[in-house]
Order: sequence, then C-alpha cells, then structure tokens
Amino acid sequence: MKGFTLWFTGLSGSGKSTITQAIEPLLLERALKVEILDGDVVRTNLSKGLGFSKEDRDTNVRRIGFVANMLSRNGVVAMTAAISPYKEIRDEIRAHTETFVEVYTECSIDELTRRDPKGLYKKALSGEIKNFTGISDPYEAPENPEIVVNTEHETLEESLDKIVRSLELMGLIPAGEDNHTSPEEEVVIRERLQALGYI
Amino acid sequence: MKTAQQRLCVVGLDGVPLGLLERLANDGVMPNIAAGIEAGHHRSMRASLPEISSVSWTSFMTGAQPGEHGIFGFTDVNPGTYELTFPNFAQVETPTLWDRLGKRELTSVVLNQPATYPARTIPGVLVSGFVAIDLSRSVKPLRWLGSLRRQDYRVDIDTARARGDHDWLFQDLDYTLQARGAALGRIWDEVEWDFLQVVVTGTDRLYHYLWDAVENTDHPRHQQAMDYHRAVDRFVGQVWNRFAAENEEPERRFWMLSDHGFCGIKQEVQINAWLRERGYLIIDDGGRDLGGIRHESAAFALDPGRIYVHQRGRYARGSVAKENVASMKAEIADAIRSLRYDGEPVIRDVHDAADLYSGSCADGGPDLVLLAHPGFDLKASPTATEVFSRTDLVGMHTWDDAFLLAPYSIDDEELWIGDIAGHLERGFEN
Repeated sequence: MKGFTLWFTGLSGSGKSTITQAIEPLLLERALKVEILDGDVVRTNLSKGLGFSKEDRDTNVRRIGFVANMLSRNGVVAMTAAISPYKEIRDEIRAHTETFVEVYTECSIDELTRRDPKGLYKKALSGEIKNFTGISDPYEAPENPEIVVNTEHETLEESLDKIVRSLELMGLIPAGEDNHTSPEEEVVIRERLQALGYI
Repeated sequence: MKTAQQRLCVVGLDGVPLGLLERLANDGVMPNIAAGIEAGHHRSMRASLPEISSVSWTSFMTGAQPGEHGIFGFTDVNPGTYELTFPNFAQVETPTLWDRLGKRELTSVVLNQPATYPARTIPGVLVSGFVAIDLSRSVKPLRWLGSLRRQDYRVDIDTARARGDHDWLFQDLDYTLQARGAALGRIWDEVEWDFLQVVVTGTDRLYHYLWDAVENTDHPRHQQAMDYHRAVDRFVGQVWNRFAAENEEPERRFWMLSDHGFCGIKQEVQINAWLRERGYLIIDDGGRDLGGIRHESAAFALDPGRIYVHQRGRYARGSVAKENVASMKAEIADAIRSLRYDGEPVIRDVHDAADLYSGSCADGGPDLVLLAHPGFDLKASPTATEVFSRTDLVGMHTWDDAFLLAPYSIDDEELWIGDIAGHLERGFEN
C-alpha cells in the first residue's frame, strides 16, 4: 500500500492523540507501517525551543508537515496530532503532500471546558494562560476535511470506525474483515424480519 | 474470457415452488423458464429444516447441514438475557462453495445471496442479500461499492412499507429487479469469473404479501403478480442468453433452484402461545423478547417452529435437568402432534433435533423442529397469547416443494438443497 498523511486537527482536548493512538494498532493489524507525530511529543524534540506565537506555531506545524510527507512518500502512514489551528498552513501542507487526509476532531468549547483534565481551559478562561487556542487565540476549523469525527457525541469506537471505514473506501488501507452487526443494524434487522412475519 | 469448460452459472428464485414454476411455464407467463425446463431436468427438492431462507441458503452455499454450519434461523436467543440475537455470515462455521472453489483458483461472482451479511472477502465478488443493511458492508471487494451506489442498487425492497402498500410493493419489486440486472451486467463485464450465482428475492416478498394474487386469477392484483413473473422470466432469459452466447454447451452448465416453496396461509400458529397454554412456558411482563421467562418454564420457541428445552446449565434460568431433556422433548412432541384447528391436524412432523442435526454446531440448535401441514404458518412471537390467529400476511414457506432445474437428472428421492453444492463442485472436475 502507498503511504499517506492522516492529519488530525482540532482543539486541545478534542481527542486527537487518543484517536491516533487507538487507530495505530488497527492499521498495524493490516500490515501497514505507522508513525505518530504527536503535537506534544514534537514540541519536546523536533520543535524544541519554539514558543506559541503565531510564527512559532506555524513553524511547528510546517515541520510536522515536512516530516509527515517524507514518511508518507516512503510508504508510511504518518499520523499527526497537533492542533494546527490555521487553515492557511494546513492547506499549504496539503498542497505539498502527495496524499493528505484531513480529520477534524470536532468538539464544542463547552464540552472541552467540562472535560478539561489539565485545567487548561479554566486557566485560559480566567486569563491565567495567554494565547490559548479556541479561547484567546483563533482556531480555524477546516471547511472541507476528508473526515469529521464529533468526539462530543460519538464514542471513541464510533469515531475509529468512521475513520477506518473512510480510509477503506478511499482505497488507502486494505479492507478488514468486519464481521459484526451493530446494535443499530440489529434494530433494522428486527424491523425487516417483523415485516416478513417473523419474531 | 474463461472457456465453456470452466464456467458455471446458477440462478436462484427465492421461495418459488415447483408447482407454480411449472404452471407459469406452461401458461406462457415464463417462456424462458419453459425453455429451461424443456432443455434440462426439473424436479422438486427439499429445503432445510426449518424451511427458511437463512438456513436453506446457508446450506446451499456451504453444502453442509445446520448442525455443521451453525445457522438454525434468522434468530437465536442470548442464553443469559433471553433477548433475541441475529446470527450473521461471520457465524457460519463451514467454508462456502466459493471458498472451496477459490482454493482451486476459481473466481466466483455472487450477487444477492441471502445470509451473507456483513460481506467478507471471497475469491471473487460478493454482494450480500437479505438481511443486508448497509451497502458499504454488503460488498467485497469495496471497489464495486461506488458503481453500485451510483446506480442506486437496492439489496431488497422496503418490506416495512411494501407490506401495507401494495402499489409500492410492485414498484419496488420492479425497480429492485432492474437494479439487480444492471449490477449483474456490470460485474459480468469486468470480472473474469468461473462461477456466477445471482438470487432473485422479490418472489419471496411478493408471496408473503400477495400469494393469493398469484394463485387466484380473480384477484385484483393477479395481472400485476403475473407481470412481475414475466419480468423475472426476462431477467432469467437475459442471464441465460448471455451465458449461452459466451459458452459452449451452456445447457450443461446452467442451474436454477429455489430455497423453499410457498403456499397460502389458513392460520398462523403461535408456538409460544401453545407452550404457555400447556404450562410449559411462563413469561412475566417487562422483559424484552423472552427476557421475562420464569425459571420454572420447561421450553420456549423461536421462529418458525424451533422448540428449545429450558435446560439447566444451558440457560441462565434453565430448570430442566440434562437427564430429563429427552423425556421433556418426548412429552412436548406427543402433545403438539395432537394440535388441531377445526379438526384438522396442524403438525405434519415433529423432528427430534438429535436425529436431524449432527456436527460441531448441533448442540447450539433447537431440541425439536416442527414441520407444519401446508396452510399452518408456525410462528414464535414471545408476546402472542392466542395460538391461532391471522394477520395481513397471506403466504408461508413450505418444505418439500422447492424446485431444481439441473443439467442432468438427479435420482434421489431425498434430495435437499444442501446436496447441490457438491454437484456444482463436481461440475468443475470435467
């Protein structure tokens, strides 16, 4: 299979890292080579020393895009999990990347504030943290991402299923054997059987 | 293109009984079928027991009996919660005909085979049939999904709507058949296949809702029912003509069959209501499906006529000790054999599953399997309180009048649908 870049974008706490970590074994099971470029991890290595000004953030995201593209053109599925708040930079990376799949992890500020495991949103809302994306710094949601997962309303399994199935349909990953019927499907099966006089 | 010696084609007509097929062929409604009957060897054939599509078609596609392949009905019961579960293709325990052909590097195209959902990879192309829900999970390989979606392919008619709206029923039957034909043509064009199988399921739907219109020439929808059969015949003719054009001696490589027969309903017979009436089943209100079953219940039923002894150790609240199962089966069998409606016997046969099924899955099946006389449609609604009733359904499945149209005569009085896979495989040994 060809490599590709699976670019997650979304606010802090929206589930980017959780999802990339959960998808990794699903892709490995299909004999794909996988690397995760997590925003926090990149900042302590590749982008050490960069701050949170717009210029530094753009540089950080461009570096991630550069590495992801190198990996993906060598047959790796490169997953990135940085907030990557600016549409212009994401589009710039898309333009330079052979196969770029944008995944938007959608979640409302209210829900993120409610989750807030590190208390960052509370601090940002009180002004204790400056330049916090989504509160005091802009976040430009993608207009036409290939995949949208709503982590506020979907379970992790539902989001994973949506992403994996989308990648299957795009022909980017081999089809897995999906052999269960979901509870929602069972409701429909029950109705269809009842329409034919069963149950 | 593959040569004549390598290709084999099967058309399934779900639920079409031999008698109806012969009559419509003789009456000129189905001239292509008539030609097939003239050229080939047609006969009756037994369905599976129970005589429903999921079991019969699974027996066809595996060449195995339910005790081996593990599918005993559209439903099973969760032994802990007593809620119904819905066995799917992944639970078929034996390899399919297409898997076995694949080991010989033969490619199959299988369109609308019931009981194959969710689709899994086969050596070739599989488009699942009933009860397939999501088209994207009904197609393997997925590269066929786009073209099927673009042509608005339908797995099945909208049965919930069609049951009460017969204008819609005929529209949907026509549309679905046309879409099936278009899909078949496209896949046929592009795949180098050895074995091709397509199943028409609209016949079964029509018979459930309007069997009387098929049988009764005075019925206001009789002509519509005949027109649908003409359309099915044209579909068969198109498959045959193309197959004949591309293969030498096509009559030696072309098969047709149904998975069970059909007849009209005199009465629906609710087996759980009968078990309640006799004190074998006690269900409290409130639980889903059989969730309210009491410990002291001795048995329950699942559609259509499968009776399960409520055995201790097999079910969470089971009460019948293992050593008493045989006597309980015998007691229930004796009692239900005498069931009558207006003096007419209802039950044609009571099969002890121990005699009926063998194989690694046999223990997961029912303990008794009822076969009713034609006209008595066995049901197992957990909530029904009346043993005999009628609904708007007019047609029911029958067991021993499925049809087979084969290239050669098969002299076996007990021929059943599970035997056909072996004949088809031997067709590739020439």
